[in-house]
Amino acid sequence: MATNGNGDISQDSVEEKPKSRKPKDTKFKQQKLPAWQPILTANTVLPALFAIGIAFIPLGVALLVTSNNIKELVYDYTHCNSSTTSGTCAEFFQNTSQTGETCTCVVTLTLDEDFTGSVYMYYGLTNFYQNHRRYVRSRDDNQLHGDVISYSDLNDDCDPYKTVSDNGTTMGIAPCGAIANSLFNDTFALVYQGSPNEAVGLLNTGIAWVSDKNVKFGNPSDWQKSTYTKPPNWKIPVWNLSLTEESNNGYKNEDLIVWMRTSALPTFRKLYRRINHNGTTFSNGLPKGDYQVTISYHYPVTAFEGTKSIILTTTSWLGGKNPFLGIAYLVVGSLCIVLGVVFLVIHLKWGKRHQETELELFKAPQYEVDPLVQVVTLHDRAM
Amino acid sequence: MAEGQDKTDLSVRVPDNERSGTSVDRLDLAASATTAPPAISPSLNTATSVTAVNLGQVESARTRSGLIHADDNSLRPVATHVVPNVSHPVDAIPLIEEEMILPNPLVKYEYRPMEDGQGSEAPEPHHQSQQVIYINAPERNHSEINITCTSKYNFLTFLPKFLFEQFRKYANIFFLFISLIQQIPNVSPTGRYTTAFPLLLILMVSALKEIIEDFKRHRADDEINNRKAHVHRGDKWVTVKWVDVVAGDLVKICNGGFFPADLILLSSSEPQAMCYVETSNLDGETNLKLRQGHRVTKDLLRGEELASLRGMVECEAPNRHLYEFVGNIHLEGQSAVPLGPNQLLLRGAMLRNTGWVFGIVVYTGLHTKLMLNSTSTPLKRSNVEKLTNTQILLLFVLLVVLSLVCAVANSVWSGRHAHNDWYLFFDVEAESNFGLTLLTFIILYNNLIPISLQVTLEVVKFIQAIFINWDLDMYYAPTDTAAMARTSNLNEELGQIEYIFSDKTGTLTQNIMDFRKCSIAGICYGNNEESKDAFNDPTMMYNLHSQHVTADTIREFMVLLAVCHTVVPEIHHDTGEIVYLSSSPDEAALVQAARQLGFVFTTRTPETVEIEVFGKKEVYEILNVIEFSSDRKRMSVVVRCPDGKIKLYVKGADSVVYERLEETQLYSDITLQHLEEFASLGLRTLCIAKVDIPEDVYEEWKHTYYKASTSIHDREKKIEEAAELIERNLVLLGATAIEDKLQDGVPETILKLSMADIKLWVLTGDKQETAINIGYSCQLLTQNMELIILNERSLDETREALVKRKADFGDALGKVNDVGLIIDGEALRHALSCDCRKDFLDIALSCKSVICCRVSPLQKAEIVDLVKNAQKAITLAIGDGANDVGMIQAAHVGVGISGLEGLQAAHSSDYAIGQFRFLQKLLLVHGAWSYSRLSKLILYSFYKNICLYVIEFWFQIVNGFSGQILFERWSISLYNVIFTVAPPLAMGLFDRFCSAETMMKNPALYKDSQKGRLFNVKVFWVWIGNSIIHSILLFWMPMLMLTQDVAFSSGLVGDYLFLGNFVYTYVVVTVCLKAGLETNAWTWLTHLAIWGSIVSWFLFLVVYSNVYPLVRLSPEMVGMDRYMLGCWLFWLGLLLIPSACLLRDFSWKVFKGTYFKSTRQRVQEVELAKKESVINGSPRKKSSRLITERARLLSSTLFGRAGRVPSSSPPVPPSPEIPHGYAFSQEEFGAVPQAEYIRAYDTNKDKPEGL
Repeated sequence: MATNGNGDISQDSVEEKPKSRKPKDTKFKQQKLPAWQPILTANTVLPALFAIGIAFIPLGVALLVTSNNIKELVYDYTHCNSSTTSGTCAEFFQNTSQTGETCTCVVTLTLDEDFTGSVYMYYGLTNFYQNHRRYVRSRDDNQLHGDVISYSDLNDDCDPYKTVSDNGTTMGIAPCGAIANSLFNDTFALVYQGSPNEAVGLLNTGIAWVSDKNVKFGNPSDWQKSTYTKPPNWKIPVWNLSLTEESNNGYKNEDLIVWMRTSALPTFRKLYRRINHNGTTFSNGLPKGDYQVTISYHYPVTAFEGTKSIILTTTSWLGGKNPFLGIAYLVVGSLCIVLGVVFLVIHLKWGKRHQETELELFKAPQYEVDPLVQVVTLHDRAM
Repeated sequence: MAEGQDKTDLSVRVPDNERSGTSVDRLDLAASATTAPPAISPSLNTATSVTAVNLGQVESARTRSGLIHADDNSLRPVATHVVPNVSHPVDAIPLIEEEMILPNPLVKYEYRPMEDGQGSEAPEPHHQSQQVIYINAPERNHSEINITCTSKYNFLTFLPKFLFEQFRKYANIFFLFISLIQQIPNVSPTGRYTTAFPLLLILMVSALKEIIEDFKRHRADDEINNRKAHVHRGDKWVTVKWVDVVAGDLVKICNGGFFPADLILLSSSEPQAMCYVETSNLDGETNLKLRQGHRVTKDLLRGEELASLRGMVECEAPNRHLYEFVGNIHLEGQSAVPLGPNQLLLRGAMLRNTGWVFGIVVYTGLHTKLMLNSTSTPLKRSNVEKLTNTQILLLFVLLVVLSLVCAVANSVWSGRHAHNDWYLFFDVEAESNFGLTLLTFIILYNNLIPISLQVTLEVVKFIQAIFINWDLDMYYAPTDTAAMARTSNLNEELGQIEYIFSDKTGTLTQNIMDFRKCSIAGICYGNNEESKDAFNDPTMMYNLHSQHVTADTIREFMVLLAVCHTVVPEIHHDTGEIVYLSSSPDEAALVQAARQLGFVFTTRTPETVEIEVFGKKEVYEILNVIEFSSDRKRMSVVVRCPDGKIKLYVKGADSVVYERLEETQLYSDITLQHLEEFASLGLRTLCIAKVDIPEDVYEEWKHTYYKASTSIHDREKKIEEAAELIERNLVLLGATAIEDKLQDGVPETILKLSMADIKLWVLTGDKQETAINIGYSCQLLTQNMELIILNERSLDETREALVKRKADFGDALGKVNDVGLIIDGEALRHALSCDCRKDFLDIALSCKSVICCRVSPLQKAEIVDLVKNAQKAITLAIGDGANDVGMIQAAHVGVGISGLEGLQAAHSSDYAIGQFRFLQKLLLVHGAWSYSRLSKLILYSFYKNICLYVIEFWFQIVNGFSGQILFERWSISLYNVIFTVAPPLAMGLFDRFCSAETMMKNPALYKDSQKGRLFNVKVFWVWIGNSIIHSILLFWMPMLMLTQDVAFSSGLVGDYLFLGNFVYTYVVVTVCLKAGLETNAWTWLTHLAIWGSIVSWFLFLVVYSNVYPLVRLSPEMVGMDRYMLGCWLFWLGLLLIPSACLLRDFSWKVFKGTYFKSTRQRVQEVELAKKESVINGSPRKKSSRLITERARLLSSTLFGRAGRVPSSSPPVPPSPEIPHGYAFSQEEFGAVPQAEYIRAYDTNKDKPEGL
């Protein structure tokens, strides 16, 4: 037979490997893994849309209410009148020769209602780009962690606040970098104008992230005071930040730690103090009335058209006052409801027609009958 | 070369009883040639230069012996042995000439004949185009190592080559550039190694993939290189690996074996050193070819004789022309004799029907003609990939624009703030450099171009390819072959195929001929159930034995089948089983059928044929054999029957036989009807007729015929005329129907593919009749289809015909008409010339089916190129032989049929499958799936990256365009490497919109991917737009949420990274859920990928927030886990923001899914709806086989005739009448004419053992 000659080769090639090349019949290999195949049509998603809408709207309302219950007082003191010099403190600092000196403002804040619960005191800055790339990088985390390093090993990003040269001697800056150098240094004292006047206790601890205070920031075993100096804008070196409280001194100073967490936006607020609710007058928060704030005004902001404010606020479980989330929930929830209604209307109005076509589809031979049969029938018709 | 035209005259052989005895050498020629020394080079040079000019034609030229031997053996006794004649060593000098299909006068050339006397001088191997091989002295030969090497790398070359390959990709260069500029201090917003690291990771994955793929190639190469060959070395036979075969080796190949290199045939087990080779691997022709060793070597039948053989073989330098070869063999002590293609056995061909052969290795390894013909597989890139690259470039432009905008904004901002913002340090440091700022932004936004896309794609495609390999539905058990994706970068291209170009033999057909039906004396046999697979009709036996009126005719018919042929029987020594050797599978099938019906052809001697009729021996003396040729379309023998009567037996095409019938015929009409019926089933039919010849008539004719066959001028014509004299007044006995067995499932597959709007063109090297026949049997052509047959012989005629046909189409041009186009290789050559090309294409595209026959490998590639370029359509070529390699490489996707001997096609293909029908699954399922998966994957990869990185842009607006990043640097680096890498992988691997079965049942679904509806410029930019919307929501919503900074009831405030991690988490969640939304089928792996990715980010967050100060990495992350996860705002945002983002996508999807349902969605729904019924009730039993059978009968037989009446529209010109189902394959003008070939045999004699 002419066509019967390949017996030899197949033997040849098979002799050494009797293993069959037949693929395994597993669901995975044959791509037949069982699968969930959700089909999204108006009918199936209608309940889901309504459910989401019905869940989101009350949630939104609740969030909005929560946010609205938060008491907040914001006082912009950028242009406060100086109590020590004439004019405003802002004007005082426009004279750059006076940078570093103190200007004091005394302002009165009026709480229209009681601030019940824990009250927090913030300072807020605007148009301050703490999120600028160079600014964000301008720090040395190892230094802040308390590692003993020589100033030449400081992070280069700290430049130009890495080292200072004074009369030929170079000294490292502790802490180095622009962030630390621009530490917010206004201070506030708060006195309740009641009968009698009572100073509000302000707690300067517990205002930073616990992890920062415990893990990220630490004091070195040796301050290397001979080779390190304070940042140019500072008045005192870092190891003297809090002489009274060793746990709040140096890099572990919470004001520093708070400042070192650079904000996301050019308008931001940072926690300044917690109100001390021990004692009788302020145990339930701040009662309504006038409060006198004595501001040690050091920090120039008008140069960059910024403002600074003092903020007193209570918090909720959501944090500060912010209606956005509540509104967003309401909007998304409503959208779901609207979409649901639209789909429902379309479904009721036009759904029937579609069902009909679907029924036809079931009858269509294309999906029911082997195509070969179909061809025969086509031929029949052609005849 | 003018001499060529006289060849017939010069090369006529004087009728002779000794085959190689006196022959007329072309003495004149030889004499003239002596004036032009050096002897060989001039003609060679001419040949090669012509070749260079006319490469196309020469490629397709076929060889043909220049000698036409007289069929004179009936007159003289044939010598039982052959006397070598040393004085005339030139016998059967082959002349190369293109066969009639390409009669280009320019390309006529011939071998320079070798003359006596001169041959004794050993020609110097001085010429460059020559090489000399010393026999039995391998150490003296310079041999190319006989190695097949398809692998890309080895140990040393891997690294440089791999890196070169990788950095040729724009994306990688880009990321390398980014990695480098990140090293510049103070420029990078994301640290120094955040691009280098992922890039390195990605390169490592790519390297791993390359290593695995190359390892496979190495293994495949080794498999071939380590095949065993029997080589005679040092006086004994040794078995060596193919790779160790060197030029000059004497090798022995046994029946069914492949030639390990190009060999010179020395001797064989058959008489006259003849052997059969199957070259379908090389040229796609189905019939076997005869090769004959040279007379001087034919008696080297034993190992000892070979051992003492000394001498040399000179041959031309290796070239790629399959049908050309010139050389000399110069044995020690003898004069040199010329060698031609008839002595050359090519690597890639297989020895058939021959016990064994001895050969000398001449060309090895890369010098073999097979290798020279195989070009390295071109790098193919898929359509989707190209489109993706364009979009990447656009995105790059976007990136640059965005960076420029930011850099400019940065300058503006800095200009405004520099002298005011004392806390920054502009006054101290120099004004920032614009160029560096630009680089900063380029680094910041670099991942708008997804770094991981390339590698994700590669990995996914690689695994998709493995899925193809794993597919059980594409496993062909008989040859133990699974499908093999040899390249993985074209998977999605499989989903976009519009044109398939298919080879015929071995692809559509099995190349097995089966006797299926016959019509004897007007009675049709073989319609019964038992004959469904093989002819088995008891009625016939009954009629034969029961004195039925037709009993005698049946007997005569069967005797004819057993006698009238050129088959040689071979009796197996041990079993006594008879094996029929034939160059024509059709004849073998007929003789085989006769044997099964009790008319056993047992013995052939030079003059007689012995058959056993039901065990009784009958001897028929063969008086004359008038050969088959495609002009005559018939073959006949004149026999003297045992009873002494002389009869002429004829078998041939119905058209030629009917013309020559005696006027009164009993069953001519009914037989014709049967013929039509057979033909409509796609069977190859032959008419069987006989005529009794009176002794005196024969005596007279014998002389006429003898004269004709020895005439010098126009011998062919004269023989034909002489044949006409006796082949007349025939008596019709009946007809036979042979099935050229199709591969399984071919008609069904063709139907399915056409339902998917894929057009199939058949390109075959076979004859027109055969091709048309197969066209019918595989339903490519139907009975009611008009046929346009183009076989014009000249350019002008072709042009004219094309213009006319085109005009005939009228308005129907360009639409798909129910017309089949059949074009011949010769006409095609003209049609493909520049000025006809357009017309031809117009016509071809207006036809439903196109069949090109007798096309050369090069033409196959040309046609593919034509359609590829003119139609901008994605093409696929499928074939099994080396002759298909050209088109396989030219087409967008090349598919090789693997499993049987044809490895060459499979090796150069992109996908190798065992059977044509697997194409269904490969295209309709794997192709469509891969396309839709990869489309999604690519779109999604862009989406997720843009979503994240555009957020950086929004952040720039609030940070003074300083280039600060919102996220922690390693988190972003890992975004593409860990947190969002799994969903696209799951999408690319496991997504499916309906099951494989449904895809197969609804080929219409293929159109989605074919038309590229899922991935195009519009879709792409819609996705990009969507991701920008998402990025807006994802940035501004958390920002507004945290605008008052106080996020805890304890009054603590966060920082930029606190917001950043909020946003990042929401991005990861949104992006993963978006993947889920786009996923149609959620397998457990999809669940794992989507939920796992989200979980992985949270895990990372927790771990990463606690590594400092243990590892000095990202102190800014310290405490993030504790404060973020303890923040109510975060969780409320997590619920709200991703849902807000996806609400639009979700409702749009619902809206579309409900009111603008696409076909696939409908099918999907129906499938899901049916799923339960399928599970509950038993699935419907399929009876497709029966249906098919019936469908064929119905569609073709019943109203087939009606369909033949030319329909009114479209107005298609009537096609020339073609014989019903006639097709016959036999080698024509071979090395040895069939009539002479059979005379050389005496099967009563033992064959040499060859040891």
